[in-house]
Amino acid sequence: MRGRYVSRTLTSVLLRRQPQPSGAGAAAAANSSFPGAALRHFSDRQKGQEQPKAFDPALLEFLVCPLSKKPLRYEASTNELINEELGIAYPIIDGIPNMIPQAARMIDRKAQDDEPKQT
Amino acid sequence: MGFPLAGPEASRDSETRSASAKFTPLPKMAASIGAVTSRALHSRRYHRKLLSGGRGLFSGARRLVAEGETHFGFQNVSETEKGEKVYHVFESVAKKYDIMNDSMSLGIHRLWKDILLHQMNPYPGTQLLDVAGGTGDIAFRFINYVRSQWEHQIKQKLKSHQNLSWEEISKSYQEEELKLPGGSQVVVCDINKEMLKVGKQKAQHLGYSEGLSWVVGNAEELPFNDNKFDVYTIAFGIRNVTHIDQALQEAYRVLKPGGRFLCLEFSQVNNPLISRLYDLYSFQVIPVLGEIIAGDWKSYQYLVESIRRFPAQDEFKAMVEDAGFLKVEYRNLTSGIVAIHSGFKL
Repeated sequence: MRGRYVSRTLTSVLLRRQPQPSGAGAAAAANSSFPGAALRHFSDRQKGQEQPKAFDPALLEFLVCPLSKKPLRYEASTNELINEELGIAYPIIDGIPNMIPQAARMIDRKAQDDEPKQT
Repeated sequence: MGFPLAGPEASRDSETRSASAKFTPLPKMAASIGAVTSRALHSRRYHRKLLSGGRGLFSGARRLVAEGETHFGFQNVSETEKGEKVYHVFESVAKKYDIMNDSMSLGIHRLWKDILLHQMNPYPGTQLLDVAGGTGDIAFRFINYVRSQWEHQIKQKLKSHQNLSWEEISKSYQEEELKLPGGSQVVVCDINKEMLKVGKQKAQHLGYSEGLSWVVGNAEELPFNDNKFDVYTIAFGIRNVTHIDQALQEAYRVLKPGGRFLCLEFSQVNNPLISRLYDLYSFQVIPVLGEIIAGDWKSYQYLVESIRRFPAQDEFKAMVEDAGFLKVEYRNLTSGIVAIHSGFKL
């Protein structure tokens, strides 16, 4: 039990270094385009398959940028929540979005334009 | 947050003052309201007064009007410093937080939290935002409460022979597995990611996951949309917020019209005898317990000091009203050691 936990923590630490979406993260992102599907995918997670770093897109219904109070876009490739208008990205660490402006990252506008648009 | 405390860095520079406070016999909070402005300028005198064990010292010192300055326990610090210091406190105590709450309050904090839930009385479908809810104490209680409410409703319907087919019943049980009854949700928001980490691990361990989310966020700058929640709770958290008025305004903003604000916080003891015992316990016992159990005297010194600094029942009630809440009332628990303030956005 403890060993499993340690290895999971280790995995999440490693994953944090290079922000790649995990399997569940990518699935969650795919679901986000279908509001209904987002709720349904809870059931999959209950089977104990839950990835601790998976972001729950149902949260986007509540979340806004704390500065502009405008909606955010979930970017699965970097596992961040993006405020397009202000050009800032909030990180999601171990599945927990960090909505403290000081923890956010300024987006390089050019690079952002090259990224495929989601949602 | 539960019983907020302070970290090692937290009161490094306040060692002398903390030490003096430790031996101050029963500082009793006078109820006088006028806030003293330039407390910092008089800090030396303040210190001396503390040593002499003067009474009523803490009266005006509770809230500083001077721009950019606030307090951290009995110290005066800049507003940025306060945020950092409080952060370090909770960062350092996160792992021992629950066990310390139990040992310091002799388990009574559990009853206070249960009472908060009874007062909230959430129904299946309630959307709750629990601010400063780090280790999940309120969120888990909320989930249990909503589930038991829902089971009770089903039983009532069966009893009163409302045509509820077995199909319907089994369907609703299935639904319950997927999410909370009625689509209830609870979002735990805390500025401290260490506290949230402990809470999330606890949730995984206890098997809570549906309808439960964790967000790192500042109570003064909530990352939530307007008019989203039925209930806003903050338990043992608001005391540690730098700008309480801003936090209250944010609470008002994110609540739906008709939504309820509920705050559980340490308050002012109204019985003189209990007050004496409580002060003795706070200043003589709690830091010692903190040292023994968590190896962290200063954090627990901050805890007891910050409790004395927090506005008394009526003063805080006025602050809640200033934020726009209506029908604001409070009830004292355990002779006013803690109080629950309630208000509605109407």
